[in-house]
Amino acid sequence: MVQIGLPEKSQIKKGKYFKDKTGSKNLKKVNVYRWDPSSGENPRIDTYEVDMDNCPSKVLDVLNKIKNEIDPTLAYRRSCAHGVCGSCAMNMAGKNGLACTTPHADIDGDIDIYPLPHLKIKKDLIGDLDGLYKQYQSIEPWLKSSSKSEVTEILQSKEDRAKLDGAYECIMCACCSTSCPSYWWNGDKYLGPAVLLQAYRWIIDSRDEERQARLKKVADELKLYRCHTILNCTSACPKGLNPAKAIAEIKKMLATAKI
Amino acid sequence: MVNKPPLSPHIQVYRWQISSLVSISHRITGIINIIAITLICLWISLIFLSEIEYGTINLFLNSTFGKFIILGITWSFSFQILSEIRHLIMDFGYGFELKTTKISGLIVIFGSVIFTVIFFIIGKNFL
Repeated sequence: MVQIGLPEKSQIKKGKYFKDKTGSKNLKKVNVYRWDPSSGENPRIDTYEVDMDNCPSKVLDVLNKIKNEIDPTLAYRRSCAHGVCGSCAMNMAGKNGLACTTPHADIDGDIDIYPLPHLKIKKDLIGDLDGLYKQYQSIEPWLKSSSKSEVTEILQSKEDRAKLDGAYECIMCACCSTSCPSYWWNGDKYLGPAVLLQAYRWIIDSRDEERQARLKKVADELKLYRCHTILNCTSACPKGLNPAKAIAEIKKMLATAKI
Repeated sequence: MVNKPPLSPHIQVYRWQISSLVSISHRITGIINIIAITLICLWISLIFLSEIEYGTINLFLNSTFGKFIILGITWSFSFQILSEIRHLIMDFGYGFELKTTKISGLIVIFGSVIFTVIFFIIGKNFL
């Protein structure tokens, strides 16, 4: 059943206010979702006043500044800082994206930072993505071909290779899946845009020999058809990919091909 | 002791996009339309009952509230028709580019209002 509200223990309270100590004139308020697993308290929103004169351009830089200079207890995932690893996926100003590629200048007023939506929180901005990884594993994201070709390379035409463009670039940051209302409320069964984009990537790979079996596996009322083309996924993708279109292509294949 | 992890906020914080707005409205108008069709069927069947019952309903429909209901249903049907066409085109695999989805969403939203006006004028003057 669709649960619109948050459970009682997940209700967000007002948190601490960190006043600026640098005396800067160019301040920006940053509201950050905090939850400490050891405290037993509800999540809260802490507000930081950040000196924007000495801050690089991206939201991740703002978070680094807070952690290094204001409050070292803040927890968030980050690694490459160049939009390649997908670690710093979070919800900024009401939209999912990578903190390292989102310029804070694009956000008017206060910067609101939340973890990716509808996840169990481990700490602060760190959400639990185990369910998504299990679903990713369930589509068997590896090349399946008969044993005879194991010793030689499998050739692919330029046209067949071009079909993978827009699908193989996915970094599994989960921005799309956690932006999807269908995935919020059916995430235990519905595979979600990220995993379905990868399912599509293996279905259309000309070298793969399990196309039929892959299609059959994904052809499920809950696994696939919970997509109602809300299109939050496509607008959230920080790599500019189009999971909604990939899902539509899978549906089209199932509607036209005999399985 | 590890405390039970909270659920991160979802619909409370996620900004509405044109496409998500059209999608939820499509569902809501769908439900309204089912109820509306049932009511229209009841209204039609009242014609066979007697003139008095039919007159009562007509009196209600001609009141301000009744007109509001009629306009609402007209909009709901207009929205559903346009949105359904958008869905059909998408089922063929077209119109998934971000810009196109925004434009088609706006066409559905504004088009439904224009359709409502057109249907209302046709209904009032020519039927």
